[in-house]
Amino acid sequence: MIGLNHYLALSALLFCIGIFGVLTRRNAIGILMSIELLFNAVNINFVAFARFINPQEITGQIFTIFVITVAAAEAAVGLAIIILIYRQHKGVEVDRVNIMKW
Amino acid sequence: MNFSIILPETFLFLWAILIFVSDFFTKEEKKANLGYLSLLGILVSIFLLFSTGQGELFGKVYSSDALSQFFKMVFLLSSFLTISVSIDFSSKIQRHKGEFFALILVSTVGMMLLSSARELIFLYVSLELVTIPLYVLAAYLKPDPKSAEAGLKYMLLGAISSAILLYGISLIYGITGTTFLNEIKTRLIVDYLQIGPIGSGLFLSFIFFIAGFGFKLALVPFHMWAPDVYEGAPTPVTAFLSVGSKAAGLVAFLRVFFDSFLVYNFDWVTIMATLAALSMIIGNIVALLQTNIKRMLAYSSIAQVGYILVGMVAISERGVSSVAFYTLAYLFANIGAFVVAIAFELQTGSSEIKDYSGLSRTSPILSLMMMIFLLSLVGIPPLAGFVGKYFLFAAAVEKNLIWLVVIAVLTSVISLSYYVGVLKEMYFRKNEEQVKIRIPLGIRIALLICIIGVILIGLFPNPFLDFASQAALVFKY
Amino acid sequence: MENGILALVFYIFSGIIVGSGIMVVTLKNIFHSALFLVLCLFSVAGIYILLSAEFVAAVQVLIYVGAITVLMIFAIMLTAQLYSTSVRQSNEQVIPGIIIVVTLLVVTLVALSRTSWRVVSQGIEGQTTISIGKALLTTYVLPFEVVSLVLIAALIGAIIIARKE
Repeated sequence: MIGLNHYLALSALLFCIGIFGVLTRRNAIGILMSIELLFNAVNINFVAFARFINPQEITGQIFTIFVITVAAAEAAVGLAIIILIYRQHKGVEVDRVNIMKW
Repeated sequence: MNFSIILPETFLFLWAILIFVSDFFTKEEKKANLGYLSLLGILVSIFLLFSTGQGELFGKVYSSDALSQFFKMVFLLSSFLTISVSIDFSSKIQRHKGEFFALILVSTVGMMLLSSARELIFLYVSLELVTIPLYVLAAYLKPDPKSAEAGLKYMLLGAISSAILLYGISLIYGITGTTFLNEIKTRLIVDYLQIGPIGSGLFLSFIFFIAGFGFKLALVPFHMWAPDVYEGAPTPVTAFLSVGSKAAGLVAFLRVFFDSFLVYNFDWVTIMATLAALSMIIGNIVALLQTNIKRMLAYSSIAQVGYILVGMVAISERGVSSVAFYTLAYLFANIGAFVVAIAFELQTGSSEIKDYSGLSRTSPILSLMMMIFLLSLVGIPPLAGFVGKYFLFAAAVEKNLIWLVVIAVLTSVISLSYYVGVLKEMYFRKNEEQVKIRIPLGIRIALLICIIGVILIGLFPNPFLDFASQAALVFKY
Repeated sequence: MENGILALVFYIFSGIIVGSGIMVVTLKNIFHSALFLVLCLFSVAGIYILLSAEFVAAVQVLIYVGAITVLMIFAIMLTAQLYSTSVRQSNEQVIPGIIIVVTLLVVTLVALSRTSWRVVSQGIEGQTTISIGKALLTTYVLPFEVVSLVLIAALIGAIIIARKE
């Protein structure tokens, strides 16, 4: 029987994979894709909680719809900035972009 | 339902749309008028804010109370000052000047909604309404690679911190089955009493919340994005980021912790106090090493948020009211310092501290104002920063957080040395080539408001304190 | 019997999600990463159906798979020559990254397993689409409106930023 814990474990795994991508990717688009994995991990959590904890109101599903919408907006702005960077540097590796120091 | 309570935000949003649209019909050389039009909209919104009442909408999704009104005033003021400086700064922006003002207004609407959010979906969506326009604004100086880099870093870190925050939100939703802040609180209490301990999931959720808000507020150790973004972004946007968006993160933080997490007695005070101490120590020490005024102010603002947290960890009415009060004092002093930096940058194109040498000879009034703002940030009497810090520290002492107050006072002393470093350049170093800084109208207005704010709050703090303590009464402690 | 099939479906989808997720973050060719991202997001929609969230699954396919990833692939193609394998795609933080992530995973899993979730025995009844629609236009009408502001701000912002001078 598949219970809540299975879904939570899946979500935690996906979240950690996303964090790994964020930490190790050099390409800004790669980082953006890893961030999408993070959002999906969160959404699995929300939908699973809506099913197992809160089946009458399913607030979790509603939250997921908002997260997906905002993720689309964020991706649009993010990719626009990435294209701007590409025009300036002819590359989108985040460490190549670094002209400022700590 | 009384929909009039949401009028200030609605009006300001419609006004932003008006600016977007009228941008099409405005000639390139008359774009500055759009800035004055935006200022008018903010003034009307401030008026609406004080003429509409308090109340709740949609079953406590949105609530307008003393706390939200206080912070809405802070947001509107910082947006007013930012736009007022941007009118003159926009000579640096080649295209899309009208949209620059409109995006600042949209972000302000997001902050105002955020300060009223008492439900997590609404809180999250408003938080994104605050930050998405800011990503665009940070990258606005298109030909300047530093600005694009600032936009990229801010966007990536913003999205990551949102995801982390969302993970925390999903866990607290799973634990309580609701997204309403006040209901989370009651269910935590009821569950705890009836069924027994909830387990470590709540603590995990708390950690994710702390990390998410830590990124938004640029607390140490989540601060690494701030200096780069602050240096690269257009300077008025930096001023807005350092005050408006921090205050927005702060009010959301206050709501979440005092409305829901407070009931559960794990040791969150220690964690937050540690973050506050780290922010004060690292922010102030690294600020010592900076040669660029924007980076210096970035590190100093990291430290300033540390001071604000000192009031928060006191968990008392006095603590929260001092947090609100200090935010107001910080608003005038910090934006003031940025405005001086903007005036200087517009004339000379530089934001290096060494280029300020001999400024007191050529522009004595500007230098005097800079001195007042910086001394207020240190907390020298009789300025606003002194009163603010006094109340913050007093609230912490009341709760026996002596070690934290000792760190706060010691780091304030350290901060004196880098603020004085700027003053030393201006007053004691000679520079024959220093130019006289011309101060255009918009910057003049902003400087005047900031200087009045800093001195007035310092000399007559009582009315502002009353307002702040009303705001603090929103929570039960 | 039915439980057994559902469990099997769950494990298949989870396997695809985790496997393609790992591909997304490790592959050298960023274009291939994007394709695995499509696969991963598609299987997440499958998980939503298992959790009786059909509407969310449809939204996931339409917006995530249909819009966001297509946008990403466009961006990858516009920033050409990058998806050649000659450009190194990972930085030097791979080993510290693995250590951090494994620690995070262990801590999270332990903390989650030590939590007493208040699981309700009843399942979701009827059409979720109806209750989502009702909620969006009653309790959540305000965030619903605000999210449209987010979209419009993002749209205008993206045009301003990406437009050629």
